[in-house]
Amino acid sequence: MISTGSVGFESKLRTLEEAAGEVADGATIALGGLSMNAVPMAFVRELARRKVRDLTLVAIVHGMPVEWLVAAGCVRRVISGLVSLEGFGLAPRFRAAVQSGEVEIEEYSEHTLICRLQAAGYGLPFIPTKAGLGTDMLALHPETTREEVDETTGEAYVECTALPVDVAIVHADAADTRGNVRVDPKLVWMDSELVKAAARVIVTVERILPERAFRAAPERTTYPRFAVDTVVEAPWGAYPTSSYPTYGYDGAFFEAYQRAHADPATAASFWEERIAGPETHAAFLDANGGPETLLRIARRPT
Amino acid sequence: MSAATIDELMVVTLARAFTNETRAFNGAVSFVPVCAYLLARRTHAPELVWAASSLAVDADPKSIPESTLSDGLWDGASMLSNSAYDFWSYAQGRRYNTFAFRGAQMDAYGNVNNTTIGPYASPKVRLPGGGGMADLGCMIPLIFLWSTTHDARTFVEQLDFRSGIGWGDGGDHRARLGLPGGPQLCVTNLCVFDFDPDSKRMRIRSVHPGVTVDQVVEATGFELAPSADDVPETDAPTDEELRILREEVDPTGARLREFR
Repeated sequence: MISTGSVGFESKLRTLEEAAGEVADGATIALGGLSMNAVPMAFVRELARRKVRDLTLVAIVHGMPVEWLVAAGCVRRVISGLVSLEGFGLAPRFRAAVQSGEVEIEEYSEHTLICRLQAAGYGLPFIPTKAGLGTDMLALHPETTREEVDETTGEAYVECTALPVDVAIVHADAADTRGNVRVDPKLVWMDSELVKAAARVIVTVERILPERAFRAAPERTTYPRFAVDTVVEAPWGAYPTSSYPTYGYDGAFFEAYQRAHADPATAASFWEERIAGPETHAAFLDANGGPETLLRIARRPT
Repeated sequence: MSAATIDELMVVTLARAFTNETRAFNGAVSFVPVCAYLLARRTHAPELVWAASSLAVDADPKSIPESTLSDGLWDGASMLSNSAYDFWSYAQGRRYNTFAFRGAQMDAYGNVNNTTIGPYASPKVRLPGGGGMADLGCMIPLIFLWSTTHDARTFVEQLDFRSGIGWGDGGDHRARLGLPGGPQLCVTNLCVFDFDPDSKRMRIRSVHPGVTVDQVVEATGFELAPSADDVPETDAPTDEELRILREEVDPTGARLREFR
């Protein structure tokens, strides 16, 4: 018990290592953020270092975190709408692992996946949508994206069945130790759906604020403490993706990552030296240029 | 002003298809349409709505970053929206009316594959995935397609996987599924296609300077619907369009990422 005032409240604050220990082998985990933005990368790196096994990874639109977890051998199945490194090209480890059969890909469209998560969050068997009609995606998994016809209107639609998630991990600007979380500004991507669909929620944040900061501006609270199980203080915790508006993604890292993957030997040394090797989050940031890099990606008010 | 390069011609051609009624947004690796929205807004369509990365409404970036799904694109926005509620609700509710997508393969009806080359279960090349195109192809009435690699590997008779729907199986297939509108144009590095009003197959609307109709037919892996007897040349950009694109919209040439 950590005292945070006159009344003793249980603190949900944990280290990265402790929080990563909450993910069991074989779990279904969902990662917050989208593409180059707001991905809990410090947590992902810790999971990769712990060599968790047989994960089912829900990654709606992602790139680098899928790469790292696949490279570390943590992943059995990826449930996703899109995996790429955006303008930096195809995701090399993911692509190779799917092509070799090492990793299964269960493809959805972005919206059918959101519907599946919303159904889980609302406790409903399914949520209907018109998304995906007329595509080959529905037939990949007719048990979770059933095509039906509405009896009243005669219109076709798709039933997206609930997708329960064991652990959701999202990155945000600030939290208090009780688990109130502020995404500021309200750029929550699809994170809000992950938080509601998951049995357990871990949030990594740029900074810890006192609870009174939340009480002083409750309209800025994004997730309430009863929806959050674990809080991790991880400044620069989305690196090399961005945490808007504090810092942008590190384009130089993405370029170097792609360059290194032209050859298995350079990919292996890049993995060891710049991703998995460093013992701590601070050592990881140092291995990627330290303060010089962080000052380069820090956003200035425009 | 030096003559237009192919990337510039494609951006300008797409921009001219947009109007003050266009309410658009963009997905991943969408440099050509992003440039086109910004150019249209700075020229003939000042009322055009564009939500950068599908969330930053009315953004006015000073330049375009390496990712069209990143914060560098959001500067100057009047609203940063929430994906699940703001974006997807307005997309399904038809407030947004315009979307542009592309893929590694495209068929005669403007259906797109961005999932796999070869069988899904044992891919020769695993591609990124359909992402939002499978959704938005169903929700958005004005669909625009583009391709920077017009050849018979990209424009195929039979897709390896239909990730996103264009005109589906052609004819009235979209209407039978209860889906609005459909693909309007496909702008490539060789020509501009539109769609036959009945069959919904692509047909040549114009060829770019220096390109012949025969070359387009040769580079297309499916049979095109008949086009006009005299296929015109694609209209050239004006000096003012080129200046705005080069100096204001995309001074760092981010669009060239799609041409290498």
